Amino acid sequence: MNSNSPAQIKKVEIQVPGLASRIYSVWYRHYRVYTKNLISNGFPPFLEPLIFLAAVGLGLGHYVGLINGTSYIMFLATGIIVPPAMFTAAFECSFGTFIRLEFDKVYDGMISASIDVKDLFIGEIIFAGTKGFFFSAAVLIVIAVFGLVPSPSAIFSPLVGFLTGLMFGALSLFITSFVNNINHFNFYFTGLLTPMFFFSGIVFPLDNLPGIVRKLAYLFPLTHSAILVRAFAFNIFPWTLLLNLLYIIVFIVIFSSLAIYRLKKRLIG
Amino acid sequence: MIDTVIKADNVTKSYGNLKAVKNLSFQVEKSACFGMLGPNGAGKTTMSRMLYGNALRDNSGKSAINVFGYDPGYNELQIKALAGIVPQENNLDLELSVEQNLFIYSRFYGLRKREISKRIDELLNFMELTEKKKSKIRDLSGGMKRRLIIARALINRPKLLILDEPTTGLDPQVRNLIWDKLRKLQREGVTIILTTHYMEEAFQLCTRLIIMNLGEKILEGRPAQLLKKHIEPYVLEIFNQEKPVTFHDNRNIRIEGTESRYLLYSNELETLKRIVTDYNPGDVYIRQSNLEDLFLKTTGRHLNE
Repeated sequence: MNSNSPAQIKKVEIQVPGLASRIYSVWYRHYRVYTKNLISNGFPPFLEPLIFLAAVGLGLGHYVGLINGTSYIMFLATGIIVPPAMFTAAFECSFGTFIRLEFDKVYDGMISASIDVKDLFIGEIIFAGTKGFFFSAAVLIVIAVFGLVPSPSAIFSPLVGFLTGLMFGALSLFITSFVNNINHFNFYFTGLLTPMFFFSGIVFPLDNLPGIVRKLAYLFPLTHSAILVRAFAFNIFPWTLLLNLLYIIVFIVIFSSLAIYRLKKRLIG
Repeated sequence: MIDTVIKADNVTKSYGNLKAVKNLSFQVEKSACFGMLGPNGAGKTTMSRMLYGNALRDNSGKSAINVFGYDPGYNELQIKALAGIVPQENNLDLELSVEQNLFIYSRFYGLRKREISKRIDELLNFMELTEKKKSKIRDLSGGMKRRLIIARALINRPKLLILDEPTTGLDPQVRNLIWDKLRKLQREGVTIILTTHYMEEAFQLCTRLIIMNLGEKILEGRPAQLLKKHIEPYVLEIFNQEKPVTFHDNRNIRIEGTESRYLLYSNELETLKRIVTDYNPGDVYIRQSNLEDLFLKTTGRHLNE
């Protein structure tokens, strides 16, 4: 038999699962693995805001006056709804992704089934968003228990947690696409995310910062999350929120696309 | 006439300056077990991954891959829906149980929930893992993990099974069990692509094989036919010689020597039998040549790495 002889190969008809089903199956895998350790994974989101509020309420709060007519502790409480969404999405899509990619080789198994790299990472970003939603909801519950929720419209703030999760899921995947050594994520966390936490209007308002620093702060994705979440918390919706929302959407689209493009090259050459 | 189901034409794959696969062509018939043999770095894994789109071939007008009527460059999802993949490295979800691993994986194919639990029981039974259904992956032995990966690859009732060194590092019992199961699948009509560097495995399973080295195809054919055509049928092995073994007068002998072991290949058994008498009985031994001899003859005895 000669390999170059013309051979007719009959096409075998096959039904491939639809895009939504494929993305859901990836999300579902992450959900099942994550909830496998529900106690150790589900408890910290509630504990973290408690520690924060205790430190501020018992200590720092006495030294800070009103901010825009709001007590400092309420200003802070409404702000800290979003950083856990940022951190959980960032951990999931940096350390978590790297381990699945390089150590456990889980992705290689997943894309050997009937899903592709795009499905894989869209599912993963949506899972990061989902974690963002629940981490924000956990903070909301804690601050509600302490009577630190100014308006019932705050009930929608976990949606901002979801968007925050999507942004940092996408950004972190993009970062991960460059990383060959897991320790390099320390630069990402200490060099980018920690400053972002302090300079995004969560711990203190940006208004009084020097001009250039303030402008830089508006480049941070978390700044836009913080503005959006306070809008829901205080039930004040200026039209400029649309710009913040636009920033968030554009950010998610750009970084997801770049991350998928780069990780596809890395996974399948 | 038997249908051809897979065809690769002039396939090349480069990683930077390294050409992992060079201008490779082959075709596979339905229900065949097609082997790709070669030392590490021969390009077997890269070639098998290109068949289902987890590696992309270099773009060139001449090159083409057709798997069940689909090009993996464009229709990877269709191919993967038709195929089952057993990767070289185990990649199970360590946090989940045996059953959960299979369940999660079945979702990637969009299988219906009603069918899944029945299919899982069938597969665990087939791979003799029923008792481990609830076990954690960490508690499984290497052989059990391998069997589970094969079970996982079968969850979508594939028409094509692609196995990358399925039995490397396993004990003989597990290896034989896996071979039995693969033969059974083949009889049921599954087409199998097997990459291996175990010649015994290739000889046991493959209906047709190629031997690769440094990305190129060196030989192709049926195992028995390849032996007949390319290597002398008899081998005399000589051990423990202080002086190099040489024969000035002998026309019908090819000597391959390594320091501690000399291999004398010949077409005539009688010739070798005569030589035996010159040595201590413990130091010599005559056998038939096998795929490993052929493999070493064609790919060389030096290390590739």
